[in-house]
Amino acid sequence: MKALILVGGFGTRLRPLTLSAPKPLVEFANKPMILHQIEALKAIGVTEVVLAINYQPELMLNFLKEFEKKLEIKITCSQETEPLGTAGPLALARDKLIDGSGKPFFVLNSDVISEYPLKEMIEFHKSHGGEASIMVTKVHEPSKYGVVVTEETTGKVEKFVEKPKIFVGNKINAGIYLLNPSVLDRIELRPTSIEKEVFPKIAAEKKLYAMLLPGFWMDIGQPKDYITGLRLYLDSLRKKSSPKLAKGSHILGNVLIDETAVIGDGCLIGPDVAIGPGCVIEPGVRLSCCTLMRGVRIKKHACISSSIIGWHSTVGRWARVENMTILGEDVHVGDEIYSNGGVVLPHKEIKSSILKPEIVM
Amino acid sequence: MKALILVGGFRTRLRPLTLCYPKPLVDFANKPMILHQALKAIGVSEVVLAINYQPEVMLNFLKDFEKKLAIKITCSQEIEPLGTAGPLALARDKLLADSGEPFFVLNSDVISEYPLKEMIAFHKSHGGEASIMVTKVDEPSKYGVVVMEQSTGKVEKFVEKPKLFVGNKINAGIYLLNPSVLDRIELRPTSIEKEVFPKIAAENKLYAMVLPGFWMDIGQPRDYITGLRLYLDSLRKNSPSKLANGPHIVGNVIVDETAKIGEGCLIGPDVAIGPGCVVESGVRLSRCTVMRGVRIKKHACISSSIIGWHSTVGQWARVENMTILGEDVHVCDEIYSNGGVVLPHKEIKASILKPEIVL
Repeated sequence: MKALILVGGFGTRLRPLTLSAPKPLVEFANKPMILHQIEALKAIGVTEVVLAINYQPELMLNFLKEFEKKLEIKITCSQETEPLGTAGPLALARDKLIDGSGKPFFVLNSDVISEYPLKEMIEFHKSHGGEASIMVTKVHEPSKYGVVVTEETTGKVEKFVEKPKIFVGNKINAGIYLLNPSVLDRIELRPTSIEKEVFPKIAAEKKLYAMLLPGFWMDIGQPKDYITGLRLYLDSLRKKSSPKLAKGSHILGNVLIDETAVIGDGCLIGPDVAIGPGCVIEPGVRLSCCTLMRGVRIKKHACISSSIIGWHSTVGRWARVENMTILGEDVHVGDEIYSNGGVVLPHKEIKSSILKPEIVM
Repeated sequence: MKALILVGGFRTRLRPLTLCYPKPLVDFANKPMILHQALKAIGVSEVVLAINYQPEVMLNFLKDFEKKLAIKITCSQEIEPLGTAGPLALARDKLLADSGEPFFVLNSDVISEYPLKEMIAFHKSHGGEASIMVTKVDEPSKYGVVVMEQSTGKVEKFVEKPKLFVGNKINAGIYLLNPSVLDRIELRPTSIEKEVFPKIAAENKLYAMVLPGFWMDIGQPRDYITGLRLYLDSLRKNSPSKLANGPHIVGNVIVDETAKIGEGCLIGPDVAIGPGCVVESGVRLSRCTVMRGVRIKKHACISSSIIGWHSTVGQWARVENMTILGEDVHVCDEIYSNGGVVLPHKEIKASILKPEIVL
């Protein structure tokens, strides 16, 4: 089976992290975002993954060679020379997706993190016999999204309603599709929206079905959602009693710590923390609701919450970092500094406190 | 002859421009900074760039220039920041020539007339160990002042940020040094102004030449824009044929020959328009730099700003007050930007009413 992952463009919403690495390679819960998806695809027998990107593929391909070997799955790039929207990339990658076997192929969105119940989705697709299946997820405020209106029992999609003013349903497109090759005949090679142009046509022919995504779902394309997404992800690890979660008297709630990280005495870590490879947490540090990327050093007595600390950065002694502070790669926060929502570009030194949310370039 | 250019680190002050290109390759007056450091003109055969980040990025870009200029360009990479003198020790082997000739040291942020030929003559005539360029400033108390003997230029001492008036000449960051200076510098973080030069001055072997013409440290956008004014002013004096002329031109303006300007525009003063730019009709530009491949749409009005490579500014847009657009930024029609600093690959669909960074 094959799969296409829509990677898209420059990842500007996830800056400053994406100034140092292409978005799919930014780690989430200690693993590059795209690896979460590729592993889920490999697990259900996908043999080839095509990444639809619209910037230089060389950077990506270099990193991916490693994964190709480790996972024994073929990974290629399909490069858009102009942005093709959410359906156009499928047409562009047509030859890679059709292999003559007539099997359906998956389409995933690289910003989405979820349980990825792909096996169940294959069953669902076979059982209804339609042309396309999509995952939908429940949200509290459907009026902000595109709502998918479905028949209760069968899941057959009746229509899509963009940002509905009156309540029509609370399920939105989760960005995970399983499509028959015939769907590709419906898509021209030009900027096209799959939600506005392609799916409505298939729904009108009563061949589009929606499955309710069990478990969590999050679009982690921006820092605030990245942090919320980590909470949901670690929560789902807890439900599966994953041995990956850290244990100990210094651990509170769900925490993920890479085995090469070093934690000093007297720390209190958690809830909802991910600590990456090679990190050094000195004694007396408090961490909550945050992500520490590879190679970060947090000095004694520092206190960090609701923030993301980028690769190889350091946070000084007694520093206080909170409220959606995002440090890019190689950022050094001086001792005793306070950062309230500072967004700091790579290779900077912070020598004075950031009292209100602002970008430091 | 050889030259060392102190490039240093990540050049964060000139972001967002330096997010796409290393500083020496950012264009100033339509030419990469490194080219302004007029080295080729006086026979330098090898330039060493002292940097403290990965050299591969630089070297890739520089291969082109190496060929065009027929000059050898190498990098000397500091693993830890070595200050203003340490990099010379690090690059020692590259700077020593069998000939025993002196070598230049330049600072990659500095733009000036670069009278290097005159500097060589000055150096020979005084026979000392080291020559430095100094430049006059209005507020010397903010800088390191160089106190020198009026007639010979022999340097007596350096005074950092003097409280009383001792002189108004400061170090312009351009040096011509005998190889023996390298014996005075250890391979550790060292300051050339605080540790090396004072010793040479005490031995009466350091001489200073007053830099004729303009001088500017263009390491940040505001100074970049002022620097352009000074540079174009000096072009007016020395090579007025390089400046644009015509009824649509006001003051000093430089326009690359491959750029297109529409009708009814008013361009200048102090404007640089780069290769492949398209300025549509009815556009007003003043005190701004428009980098390669930019398109300015009809009736737009831009002042005191820098428009990065391949960006576009929409119809009737108004862009002013130190707006800096990175590479590939698209300002929509009728948008107003008051000092917006926009990172590469962004679309500006809503006005920026007060100076802010757009990530």
